[in-house]
Amino acid sequence: MLQRFLDPDTLASITGLDLVAKTVVDGFVAGLHRSPDFGFSQEFAEYRAYTPGDDLRHVDWNVFARTDRCYLKRYRGETNTQLLILLDTSASMGYGSQEVHKLDYSRFVAASLCYLANLQRDAAGLIVFDEDVVNYVAPSTRQGQLFRLLHAIEKAEPGTRTDFSKPFAHFQNYLHRRGLVIVLSDFYAPPEEIINTVEPLRHRGNEVVLFHVLDPQEIEPKFRDPVLLVDMEDATRSLEVSPEYARHEYRSKIASHIQNLNDAARSAGLDYFLMNTSRPLDEGLREYLSIRQGRM
Amino acid sequence: MGFLAPWFLGGLVAVGLPVWLHLLKKHRSTPQPFSSLMFFEQHLQSSIKHKRLRYLLLFALRTAIVALLALAFAAPFIRRTGVPINRSGAVALVAIDNSLSMRDDGRLDEAKREAKAFVGGLSLGQKAEVMAFGTRMQAMSEVTDDHAALSAAIDAIEPSDAGTSFAELARAARSVARSLNLPINVELFSDMQQTGMPGNFNDLRLNESIRLSPHRVGSKQPNFAVENVIAPRRVYDNKKSRVLVTVAGYGTGKAERTVSLALNGRVTETKTVAVPENGRATVEFLSMDVPHGQNKGEIRIDSADNLPNDDHFYFSVERADPRRALFLHEAGSTRDLLYFNAALEAAGQSAFQIDAAVPEQAANVAPSHYAFVVLSDVGALPAGLERELKNYVSAGGSVFVALGHNSAGVSQVPVSAGRIEGAHYAGREGARFQTADWVDISHPAILADAHWDDVKFYQTIGIAAGGARVVAKLSDGSPLLLDQQVGDGRILVFASTFDNVANDFPLHPTFVPFIERASRYLGRLDSGPPSVSVGAYAELRDALQPGAAVEVLDPHGARALSLEQGAKAQNIQFTEAGFYEIHRPSGPETVAVNADRRESDLTPTSDETVALWRNTSQGSATAAGTTETGERTVPLWWYIMVAVLILAVAESLLGNKHLSVDKEAA
Repeated sequence: MLQRFLDPDTLASITGLDLVAKTVVDGFVAGLHRSPDFGFSQEFAEYRAYTPGDDLRHVDWNVFARTDRCYLKRYRGETNTQLLILLDTSASMGYGSQEVHKLDYSRFVAASLCYLANLQRDAAGLIVFDEDVVNYVAPSTRQGQLFRLLHAIEKAEPGTRTDFSKPFAHFQNYLHRRGLVIVLSDFYAPPEEIINTVEPLRHRGNEVVLFHVLDPQEIEPKFRDPVLLVDMEDATRSLEVSPEYARHEYRSKIASHIQNLNDAARSAGLDYFLMNTSRPLDEGLREYLSIRQGRM
Repeated sequence: MGFLAPWFLGGLVAVGLPVWLHLLKKHRSTPQPFSSLMFFEQHLQSSIKHKRLRYLLLFALRTAIVALLALAFAAPFIRRTGVPINRSGAVALVAIDNSLSMRDDGRLDEAKREAKAFVGGLSLGQKAEVMAFGTRMQAMSEVTDDHAALSAAIDAIEPSDAGTSFAELARAARSVARSLNLPINVELFSDMQQTGMPGNFNDLRLNESIRLSPHRVGSKQPNFAVENVIAPRRVYDNKKSRVLVTVAGYGTGKAERTVSLALNGRVTETKTVAVPENGRATVEFLSMDVPHGQNKGEIRIDSADNLPNDDHFYFSVERADPRRALFLHEAGSTRDLLYFNAALEAAGQSAFQIDAAVPEQAANVAPSHYAFVVLSDVGALPAGLERELKNYVSAGGSVFVALGHNSAGVSQVPVSAGRIEGAHYAGREGARFQTADWVDISHPAILADAHWDDVKFYQTIGIAAGGARVVAKLSDGSPLLLDQQVGDGRILVFASTFDNVANDFPLHPTFVPFIERASRYLGRLDSGPPSVSVGAYAELRDALQPGAAVEVLDPHGARALSLEQGAKAQNIQFTEAGFYEIHRPSGPETVAVNADRRESDLTPTSDETVALWRNTSQGSATAAGTTETGERTVPLWWYIMVAVLILAVAESLLGNKHLSVDKEAA
């Protein structure tokens, strides 16, 4: 039942990004609530004896009443993490062979992550970029931050071409605290160039995750007849493609690109996840978080 | 090479269709936005070129298919010199007509004389075979070069009463030619009677190895004949029997003829009739004084022509007493009995005598003494009587059940296992009456031209057909008349009454033949014809006594069957005119057999028709002993269609190869 609501096409029919995020995350959390080890949760972990200097707000006064001793209640992951989402809105992100195009899918993911962070009281921020920084919402835990983020995500529209170097140079200025950086993009650039551009973020102690968002038609294109393909980022560039070429040569090339990017990211200490826009939204998140949990 | 239908070559214009299709399909790419062309680079042109090459092959196949189809429809042919038929070893098939018409004025003798002269003229060593033919072929000799044996075979041919069938001759000639695998020269000695020609001229066709040489004997002669006699098969009252005679003249002038009715060889009545020129006249005899049992009847005319065998007509007649039938009805209700009895009496021959009773009186009556039993709206029967009747039916008896208002209260048709579903009454609202919407005219109880549609049924009883045969249906589709077989017996169930209350059926002309025929059917009175034609067959056995010996005496009083045949033969064919006597365990039967009356018309076939017949074989143009040469046209369309088939398969395979891309993209 829930799965039906997490289908990208179904989510696309829901107006309001907050509702989409709530649907995804609530359902997602509901599905995982029995798991003792879960990402940003505030689950109780242990009691620790009070030592001078500890914050008195964390003392469990019930225990004190019963035992006359001060214990601090510890939670898993209680240290607030700063989450920064980098959302690529280049023109190529506007491509979609189904009802939900890549940018829509990325927005759902971004909104869900923001909502999740908000539940955890984590500071969440957003940078929208194409060949330049289009929008920036600084990470914060202030009240109303979620709506600012969702508003910024909702406003994101396909822009011009992708250029990672320029916006990523700016990101250095926005990152004042260590945290988690999530990049949502289709990464249409040579893997080395992408890693070279993104890697500096990692050097500052951030954990960087690359979400490679691709449409199924981009991974396994199927054409009935020869088609004249027009580049969405450069309308002057077009190419006639035969179904045979798309079926064989192109598929091997894109598969090789994905593999190279994955390898380069791993070797640079970055996390990489391929997100196929035909898959249910929570599937990607679940996969990502469970892998992440396993590494903690 | 030529074309039988060259205008079909115009179909070559259709070659333009694949051209147009391929031009239309060729390289028509629709612009489509794509996220990035980063991975679309080289090898593109070669792929397209490869595809166009394959399309060209497909195009060529399609063009060839259309062109070949147009060519096939134009029916091309080539002329080829025919394989010469060497007629030097041809076998002569001497066919002599011995049908009834050949009895006229010594025609058969003349034919035999000419045939013997022909055999005498055969060269030494030339083989021949003698056959006699009428309705069937009869081989009189083997294929031999012994001319004396052939002449003896010709002498052995006897006149017959059969009709002429030239179609049978042609079929036999084709069969002989096929079995001997040699050319056949058919020497036909016949009066070439026009009535011997088949309805379909194609039945006369001859192979190219058969050559026909007709030898016409006799000439057209005037002839009088008894063409037909309508007489009853059974007589129950001598004073009510009637014989209708038709006398025909073929090629005759206006004349008076004396017609006599002879019974068992004694002339009982004679009348004179005026036969118009080349026409027909009828005579009626209004009584037949015949004793009980099987009787031989005969109609004779004084024709004074050369063919006396068609001047008499045989028929058999059986004098019998009326059989008794039991009519059970409700006390106080006699209208149904009145109408039923009146219908049987009006039918002319009173084959049945009705004994009426009410069910209570019939408790001690044995139904087996009756030919059939009528239950006219009796409602529920006393249990003992119903049991008796059921046993009677199982043993082969018959019951006629009419259902009326008394039956509305019971759930089952008496004697029968049929279910009663309720009564239908005509009211002031809706349909005020029903009619018989459908009648099965193939049933023995129904007259072929019966008109039941104007009979009004005001009250009917709904009956379930079950496994019974529905003989008539009402306008609402419910059964009106059912015929049910129970054991060896028969039950007819009529869903209304005979009393002129529930319907007005008794007032309609169809009522009388219906009651009469239904009674005959139930009483198992066969109404077979009083005479049959030569060549007809008769069943010798019935299902009840399959192994009993049967004896058949021919018109001369000799046994027609051997002892073995008498024990095993299922039927017999009558080969000559006269009276046959068949002695079965169930009793003797006299069968009157008459010669085929088509033989009476001695008009010969025209020379043009005979010439056409001869032309159906190609070998008749040249004289015997020479070598024939000629050109044959060999049609080529068959080979072209095979080529089209092969190309179509190739086109399908190639087309499927293209479609395999589509399947994934779809």
